[in-house]
Amino acid sequence: MIEILTIAAIAIGFYVAWNIGANDAANSMATSYGSKALTLKQIVIIASVLEFLGASIFGHRVTYTVAKGIVPIELLSHDLVIFGALSALISAGFWITVATYYRLPISTTHSIVGAMLGFGLAAASQRYITVEQIKWGVLLKIVFSWVLSPLIGAFLAFVVFSLIRITLLERFRSESVESVFRYLQVLTACYMAFAHGSNDVANAVGPITAMLGYKGGAPYWVLVIGGLGIAVGVATWGYRVIETVGRHITELTYTRGFSAEFATATTVLAASSLGMPISTTHTIVGSVIGVGLAGGLASVNLKVVYRIILSWIITVPIAAALTISIYTVLVAFV
Amino acid sequence: MKFFRSITEIFGYSPFNALSKHAKLCGRAIGLLQQQFEAYRRCDFEEVERLRDEIDELEHHADQIKEEIRGNVSKSLMMPVDRHDLLEFLKVQDDIINYCEHVGHMLTFRRVKAPKEIWDEFEVLLSKIMETVNEYEEMVEHISRLIETSFSKKEVKDALEHVPIVEKLEHECDQIQIGLHTKLFNSDLNPIDVHLMVEWVVHLGHIANSAARAADRFRIMILGR
Repeated sequence: MIEILTIAAIAIGFYVAWNIGANDAANSMATSYGSKALTLKQIVIIASVLEFLGASIFGHRVTYTVAKGIVPIELLSHDLVIFGALSALISAGFWITVATYYRLPISTTHSIVGAMLGFGLAAASQRYITVEQIKWGVLLKIVFSWVLSPLIGAFLAFVVFSLIRITLLERFRSESVESVFRYLQVLTACYMAFAHGSNDVANAVGPITAMLGYKGGAPYWVLVIGGLGIAVGVATWGYRVIETVGRHITELTYTRGFSAEFATATTVLAASSLGMPISTTHTIVGSVIGVGLAGGLASVNLKVVYRIILSWIITVPIAAALTISIYTVLVAFV
Repeated sequence: MKFFRSITEIFGYSPFNALSKHAKLCGRAIGLLQQQFEAYRRCDFEEVERLRDEIDELEHHADQIKEEIRGNVSKSLMMPVDRHDLLEFLKVQDDIINYCEHVGHMLTFRRVKAPKEIWDEFEVLLSKIMETVNEYEEMVEHISRLIETSFSKKEVKDALEHVPIVEKLEHECDQIQIGLHTKLFNSDLNPIDVHLMVEWVVHLGHIANSAARAADRFRIMILGR
């Protein structure tokens, strides 16, 4: 039975990873396509390879936070952790699918953190742990990083683009500046894919790590599976998202794309090294606003900010409530 | 496309291309108006009416662009220029083509008789207005470069150099108008003919005036960031 549940969890984790590759990775890479710095094929290859590398080389810290940072799994029996982690994955996978269908700008990160919180609350309601034993301190830090990451992205992008503007666009012909940044943007696109993989892989494999690494560390191949899932997501569906999104963001020239990508990747990679699961999508939105604030864009629609805040507010409770329900059913019937 | 979450929404509607397009329509309308006066002079009244309709069409198209911009430039858009400045600029620019349309219609009201020197003077006035609006159009065409360079000092300077030229040309239009008015009021032409031609002159003046005012609003918009 346990083996079946574990295999099911790995399969669902792979599905979540696929989703991350299909939508979130694609979104972050679409800026390179929109600015025509790279062709679609090049982007798909870069994204798949670097997302995979980021996930497998640099994904362990955030994965650890998702696996053990929220719910004190060492206080629970192994069976309960398996039920809880599986419920969290089903819940996050389901919510991501529904939200994607309705085109809500939700974050897979928020979904999995909400789902893990739901697992903790469900365990607490059955008195396996007390509510106080859920690691609220870590949760608070995570929420804080969600608020901070788009702001840092905006700040960095503002600074980077302002520097480009003052030192280059003021002095040289904009065409020659842009043509240099065409190549530099290839680098930031790689940077971006690597950073994204390193942070978002945890959303798919964090719960699996909780199951398999119940005692001690999780096997390394868990991250590899997550990385593969993301890469497959980019290659099988993400290219369509990149194409569609890229066509809409033609006004993002090389210098702007570079600024937004550099700011986002730096913010996300910093979060990964601190073990903080943050939303890359929301960070890139912050970065684009930063470029806009520096006068780099013809028009930024700030309405999207309200939609993002709304999606935060609904995602965490929905993912938590879904997990509690699935967990309750699993514990009662299995 | 289903199953698709995206960040495209963050890139809002950009009114700047539409603004340039609108300015180009103004320039084209004046070109037609010039042709209309020529047709009038050689008494080709069928052509005069056809050109009136063509100007009407351009004006209508310009109105659609204006509506598109007004309908899309919402408060939630963050643009490199102030929203109110932009809308005010658009409003004044729209006056250019509106006055063209007025004059286009006025040419079909009545068949006036005037001597060669009056027609020559009208020709001079119209080519001066054409010059003014051409200069104006060139200024507005800088918008895309301004956005590209994120309003670099050099680009701002280049764009705003057109403003005093437009103003100077508008002043020259004024001088020609004064001359024409004096000629018309001191002629022994049919008083109703004189009345109508004076109306033409006044409204042609409004075209140049609007171009100068729009250039001024353009400068306010660019510097008011």
